[in-house]
Amino acid sequence: MRYFADWIIENLEFTRAIPSEYVYLIIMVVGGLLLLLFVVPMAGALTFVERRVAGKMQSRIGPNRVGPQGIFQFVADGVKLILKEDIIPTAADRRLFKLAPYIVFVGSFLTFAALPFSQKLIAADLNIGILYIFAVSSMVVVGIIMSGWASNNNLSLLGGMRSAAQIISYEVPQILSVLAVILLTGTLGMQGTIKAQGWAPQHWFLFHNPFAFIAFFVFFISAVAECNRIPFDIPEAESELVSGYNTEYSGFRFGLFFLAEFANVYVISAVAVTLFLGGWNTPFYLPTGIWGLLPSAVNLAGLITFLIKTFVLVFVCMWLRWTLPRLRVDQLMTVGWKYMVPIAFFNLVGTAVWMLVWGDKSIAALLGG
Amino acid sequence: MPEFRTEEMVLNMGPQHPSTHGVMRFVVHTDGEVMRVAKPDVGYLHRSIEKIAEKLKYPQFMPFTDRIDYLAAMNCNMGYAMTVEKLAGIEVPPRAEYIRVIASELNRIASHLISVGVMGLELGAVTPFLHAIRERETINDLMEELCGARLTYNYIRIGGVAQDLPAGFAEKTIEFLDHFVPAVDEYNRLLSYNKIFVKRMADVAVISAENAVDYGLVGPNLRASGVKWDLRRDEPYSVYPQFEFDIPVGTGEKGQVGDCYDRYMLRIREMVESSRIIKQCLAAVPDGPVQTKLPASLKVPEGEAYVRTESVRGELGYYVISDGSDKPYRLRIRTGSFSAMSIVELTSRGLMIADLVALIGSLDVVAPEIDR
Amino acid sequence: MRRYFLNIWEAISTIAKGMGVTLVHFTPARKSITIQYPDRTPVPVVETLPERSRGMLTFDPDVCDACSMCAMTCPIDCISIDRERVEGAKGFVLKRFDIDMAKCMYCGLCTEACPVKPKGLEHTREFEGATDRMEDLILEFIDEKKHRELVEKALKKAEKLKAAQNEE
Repeated sequence: MRYFADWIIENLEFTRAIPSEYVYLIIMVVGGLLLLLFVVPMAGALTFVERRVAGKMQSRIGPNRVGPQGIFQFVADGVKLILKEDIIPTAADRRLFKLAPYIVFVGSFLTFAALPFSQKLIAADLNIGILYIFAVSSMVVVGIIMSGWASNNNLSLLGGMRSAAQIISYEVPQILSVLAVILLTGTLGMQGTIKAQGWAPQHWFLFHNPFAFIAFFVFFISAVAECNRIPFDIPEAESELVSGYNTEYSGFRFGLFFLAEFANVYVISAVAVTLFLGGWNTPFYLPTGIWGLLPSAVNLAGLITFLIKTFVLVFVCMWLRWTLPRLRVDQLMTVGWKYMVPIAFFNLVGTAVWMLVWGDKSIAALLGG
Repeated sequence: MPEFRTEEMVLNMGPQHPSTHGVMRFVVHTDGEVMRVAKPDVGYLHRSIEKIAEKLKYPQFMPFTDRIDYLAAMNCNMGYAMTVEKLAGIEVPPRAEYIRVIASELNRIASHLISVGVMGLELGAVTPFLHAIRERETINDLMEELCGARLTYNYIRIGGVAQDLPAGFAEKTIEFLDHFVPAVDEYNRLLSYNKIFVKRMADVAVISAENAVDYGLVGPNLRASGVKWDLRRDEPYSVYPQFEFDIPVGTGEKGQVGDCYDRYMLRIREMVESSRIIKQCLAAVPDGPVQTKLPASLKVPEGEAYVRTESVRGELGYYVISDGSDKPYRLRIRTGSFSAMSIVELTSRGLMIADLVALIGSLDVVAPEIDR
Repeated sequence: MRRYFLNIWEAISTIAKGMGVTLVHFTPARKSITIQYPDRTPVPVVETLPERSRGMLTFDPDVCDACSMCAMTCPIDCISIDRERVEGAKGFVLKRFDIDMAKCMYCGLCTEACPVKPKGLEHTREFEGATDRMEDLILEFIDEKKHRELVEKALKKAEKLKAAQNEE
């Protein structure tokens, strides 16, 4: 973001009249709004894509009437949700009830500040990027417990409690598996991790060493559990709890929960791409400065590569959701603590041993040269 | 140390709930996630069908039997027709007997498809349900060609069946069955052998053979507990003795005998056995009339008769008391789902709430059959 | 210990197989079977239904001989028939023939009971019979004009019969 601010101050003369700190502030606010403008339609479009993908897997067509091929379906859904009556149960705790969806959405949205899109296209290139993302996304738990409690509904409370247990349990293997990559790069920053990889698959951290390979799967499974998606969607298990902590919400509050879930899916896919799949690395460079619109350091090819890789992982998330049944709560805990955590520890030790023996050379580097 | 006071939570599953099979209510006493007991509360779908029967003539009551268990409408039709035929001494032509068996077994496949799909749906696997429905659509189309309706067939009449097989029915049915048996393999790969599904269903809600017999379970629920009892084999009726088919029994392949997974796998195997029966039946159908001519107003001699057939959900028994007129004096229907509800309270002790859903799904109860 | 690794292996292999089945559905081998009713079908859906479909009922007053068998057979009493004897003609003439489609359960017993050939009461394949008001669901087939037509027809038939008898 600072790069953009500097570029604007350099090229737009009227901005030099204001002290540069205020320019930075305004750029920050504009950047945040732009991110919101990216996240909300993207999460909405993801709901539509999920329904079409689900339809294809189930030998049926998804929604295809609203707009060409149905792409405005999510707009119609959004408008419908906004126009609905906002029902708050009489015995519910009003303040907590109203606050919960916002906390969930904010917890999801704050992570976008540290997500990279291209070489210079990142809202804040924090040098503690990954730590920030995991820390902030835990806020979602607070929101879910709040909504379960404030709904004054036995089943919602159950859903909220289950969700809290699940998310807290799966944070541990998620971060432990990511440590395997952090050991290799020595930095927590997102752009630094991407720069340490190359554009070709053998240079990705996924194929760097066998421990990183296993770490990818551990991370992805734990991240799917963090998002409350099937096979880990006990908190909103439709057939048991009639939507769990979501039950009493209507109208746009319900829409916020939904948006937050899909934004979360995008975030975990983007983090997985950053850490394991090479990020925005491309064999060639497509500068956008040629049109004079954006600074030439923004690499359009990198942006497109990153988005494609992220959406492939989002598709895998959806594929998992529509194929598998859900795990029972105690089985979920078993998988988290008895399988994921030991494997993640084993990975950590393995990576440390690898680095002791071979430094940070990948298998490709060892075999090739 | 402060004293913690814990009390059990009383939840109400139903009567409106996405995963009870119809309108039923379970009063669940739970301590956190583990249940103390789940008591079923039935009666929300009582439509006084048995009372209605006392006001209608015998042939007029046939459409109502469709609605007792709408997923197995042919079997319900057949049971009623057989009871009245036994009481009145009416002979059924052999062609009609074969057509009845074909229709009943096709209905069995259709109903088991729904049951198997819904078991996956309740556990969160949405896609296998839609694949099962896709297969069932072909059966619905076949039935529509046969009798004109897709769910409430009203096809079997006292003394035979309503209409003969239409042209091309046998070829279409065999084409469907040839497509269906490999589709079951694909379905197994998608759902039945899936590790998550197995973990959810195996060793859950085990019903031992003694309990199954003591509590009066019938049909697939009984056979899954290891008891080899099938009315088509043990008290044969119609033309079933002429066909060669196995009676699958629960073997505890992934857990104990009589768990939810057994009840699920048994229904998959029964579908395959039913397709064998249909193929043999289609090859052996004789020619002839399809309905005995009945008097305009059927008067049944005084007496009573109880006939039980192996419907999809177990033993379906019709008990008719006649007083010599053209309307029954009393008609009593005994259904398999009603017996299955009796075991829920015993088996639910110590289960988790998620397992209760698996238990009810695997018992394959249909609420209209419980309440009639 | 062995069980532990076996669990992991089974989980991976069965889930992979299941996901393979779902992936196959993206290939043209499994097309979607949705019929996009009512506007995106190649032929109207009504024409794709089999002949025996039990849709809405249709009645032909000209062949009906007012025997009332259909009204007596209906389990729900949704057919209301008024019939009268006409002076000088044999048999009955219909004055009112109403079918209450709101009560009808499309069982087909009435069509089976009709004794004339071709049948007076038949099921069509039509399934789009929904109306805006309950009263519109009562199909009335005989009005004043039709009744007079039927009376005239009956009288004419009786005359012809008498003429044929006088000739003998």
